[in-house]
Amino acid sequence: MSEEKTHSIDISAMQRSQQALRIEDETVCLSVKDLHLYYGEKEALKGVDMVIPEKKVTAFIGPSGCGKSTLLRCFNRMNDLVDSCRITGEINLHDSNIYAKGTDVAELRRRVGMVFQKPNPFPKSIYENVAYGLRIQGINKKRVIDETVEWALRSAALWDEVKDRLHESALGMSGGQQQRLVIARTVAVKPEVLLLDEPASALDPISTLKIEELIHELKKDFTIAIVTHNMQQAARVSDYTAFMYMGDLIEFGDTNSLFTNPSKQQTEDYITGRYG
Amino acid sequence: MSSEIKMEKKSVSEWFKSGDPWVWLNAGAVAISVIMVVGLLLLIAVRGLGHFWPADVMQATYSLPGEKPYTVAAERVESVDVTSAQLREAGVNLPDDGDAILQRTLLKMGNRDVYGADFGWVLDKYLSDIQTPEMLFAAERHEWGNLYGYLMSVKEDGQVVSETTDLTPTDSALATWAAFEASIERASQIHDEIKDIEKGDIGKINHALERIRLKQRRLELSGDLTPAAEADLAAERSQYDEEYKGLQSTLAALYQQINRDSFTVQVMDGTVHDIQVSKIVHAFRPNAMGVFAKLGFYFNKVWEFLTDDPREANTEGGVFPAIFGTVMMVLLMTVLVTPFGVVAAVYLREYAKQGVITRVIRIAVNNLAGVPSIVYGVFGLGFFIYFLGSGIDEAFFPEALPSPTFGTGGLMWASITLALLTVPVVIVATEEGLSRIPRNVREGSLALGATKAETLWRVVLPMASPAIMTGVILAVARAAGEVAPLMLVGVVKLAPTLPLDGNYPFIHLDQKFMHLGFHIYDVGFQSPNVEAARPLVYATALLLVMVIALLNFSAVTIRNHLREKYKSLEM
Repeated sequence: MSEEKTHSIDISAMQRSQQALRIEDETVCLSVKDLHLYYGEKEALKGVDMVIPEKKVTAFIGPSGCGKSTLLRCFNRMNDLVDSCRITGEINLHDSNIYAKGTDVAELRRRVGMVFQKPNPFPKSIYENVAYGLRIQGINKKRVIDETVEWALRSAALWDEVKDRLHESALGMSGGQQQRLVIARTVAVKPEVLLLDEPASALDPISTLKIEELIHELKKDFTIAIVTHNMQQAARVSDYTAFMYMGDLIEFGDTNSLFTNPSKQQTEDYITGRYG
Repeated sequence: MSSEIKMEKKSVSEWFKSGDPWVWLNAGAVAISVIMVVGLLLLIAVRGLGHFWPADVMQATYSLPGEKPYTVAAERVESVDVTSAQLREAGVNLPDDGDAILQRTLLKMGNRDVYGADFGWVLDKYLSDIQTPEMLFAAERHEWGNLYGYLMSVKEDGQVVSETTDLTPTDSALATWAAFEASIERASQIHDEIKDIEKGDIGKINHALERIRLKQRRLELSGDLTPAAEADLAAERSQYDEEYKGLQSTLAALYQQINRDSFTVQVMDGTVHDIQVSKIVHAFRPNAMGVFAKLGFYFNKVWEFLTDDPREANTEGGVFPAIFGTVMMVLLMTVLVTPFGVVAAVYLREYAKQGVITRVIRIAVNNLAGVPSIVYGVFGLGFFIYFLGSGIDEAFFPEALPSPTFGTGGLMWASITLALLTVPVVIVATEEGLSRIPRNVREGSLALGATKAETLWRVVLPMASPAIMTGVILAVARAAGEVAPLMLVGVVKLAPTLPLDGNYPFIHLDQKFMHLGFHIYDVGFQSPNVEAARPLVYATALLLVMVIALLNFSAVTIRNHLREKYKSLEM
């Protein structure tokens, strides 16, 4: 009986807590102030102001090209890699502006981890994938790495599936396993914030469910921001939701009220499926 | 009947429309390429490998009309048909008996020291009394090519120990032959000992003496040559001189021993010659050998070809120094070109701001691959050797001047010149590989807090390594077959010592070396004995092809292994 339970997916964990959440009560983890982002001449983000609360899940929804992924990539300065990209405004991680001069971008990215749409494991063993971030930090003690790898894989609910083949190539895993491995890899460096960019969009429904369950577990330790196309998913996993449209943040609030009682017409049109 | 023809016509036009001719054309082109390549390999394989087979030696009487008949003993090399008119024009005194076309055969008659030439053409028609006597023997000599004749006696210190008057395999003839073989065996052992001492021990002493000389000169140049130091050096030198004297007396004794035996041989013109056994490499009676004996002999010869030093202006013996030089030069080139090309490609693709300048550089790099290789040779000679090399000599090896150390062609300069020649290939292949690494894998690494350099080192370059290896494979293929630039930057006809040996510093980058490609040219076209050299040209060509194939094969194996390891690119 108990064995069966470990194999089935605990859906109850994914149901949102029903008590009302108020953004004013939350500790602020990331705050965005008047953020403009330009790709060449094109303005992709048009003055976004918002806060990401700590140890909560914040979902970004909106039609394709609305700027939600772009905004997410601002949080760990992934947009720096795009040559034509220019940013004004500020994003504060706790109290320091991550766009201030002299920011150590590598250190920022260690503190703000990111998981991408497609699973992108390195062509190394499962163990080495998870150990990668630690090795980058210069940690070479086998005992420390062993412990962290196990902890990270357990956090990503992957340990039981892979503990016997840690030294096999990560490329032999299924897509869902790969995505959880990538999450484990990100978790292993103990970031403060986890950015998830449509983490389940390339996965089958069962794997998607597992990822959602995982998000629910991870928010105990991490601040999570997730971009998703799937509104049911946003409703299931998030505490707060931001709706974006054409580079503007249209509405931001606790998920419950945003989905049941949107204050903006555009939001209502989108979540009821009238466009997007 | 007519309708049938019509149908035929229609089907031809339909056949054209169906596209079949196009398929045939394509298949035909492939077939022709395959036939040409296979034909080329077959030709050089047959001609080259046939050379080592101990052919029967025939004995015959050759009586050209109007000339005195004489006996020949020879191996047939090849036959061609010629017209009698052509022969008459060439001065052959032919009777007019109606034969318009005659067969002419090239014979290897050996005994160059007796006859003056060891190859000769004869007209088959005038050969008579052809036989293959069992006691007729062939002997390979250290000098003067092959010897053919009948063994008459074997002597020790001038005293006959075994002799025979029989030209047939009688007991006495066979006993003499056995004595002869034993004597050759003994002589070749002593010969090996002498060679070991001369090349090994004395070589080492010479090396040490040269080092002492250079040390003294260095002290002299820097003004530090105190009498004490001079005495030290002199003591060291006298120690080596002593050693040398010891070896010299051992050598003298060995030489005396090796020259103890001699034998007499009767050659075809009836004269008898007294020859020292030490001059013989090996002797054999091909007409008395069975197929298995010949096979054994054949593989021995092939092995000797692969592992021995060349003799007699490269027309006899082996090509080991050339194989060694080729492989060593290619490996050194690979070691130089790979990091250089990869680093350049990484900068171009990963760090440089993409724009007009990088485009121009890319075009230049691509064009560099098309520059004729001899131009690189000239550059290597002018820049590396004369400019850099003499600079290095002045700065680091002033004691050896005026004889140049790096200011002359050598292994290092040849490798660097070829690395320069092949670096465009590596750059292009590496860039290609880098551009194929998916963005999301790089981002995955960066998102974990890795810097760009760390991402490159730990993820991107390993994943691009199969593409890098492709570049290296192309570079190796090109470099191993290149001869023209090497002639300017360090390849020589004969390099007595290998660039890798037991004397400090073990790898002698400044040394000149031999190369299979140049060896082919040298043996084929610079040899005094064209007929003897011709089969070696084919054999060496075959060997060069095989060495290149082997080098490529190992590189391809490494690449496939890497591909297997990093096969994630299809994500």
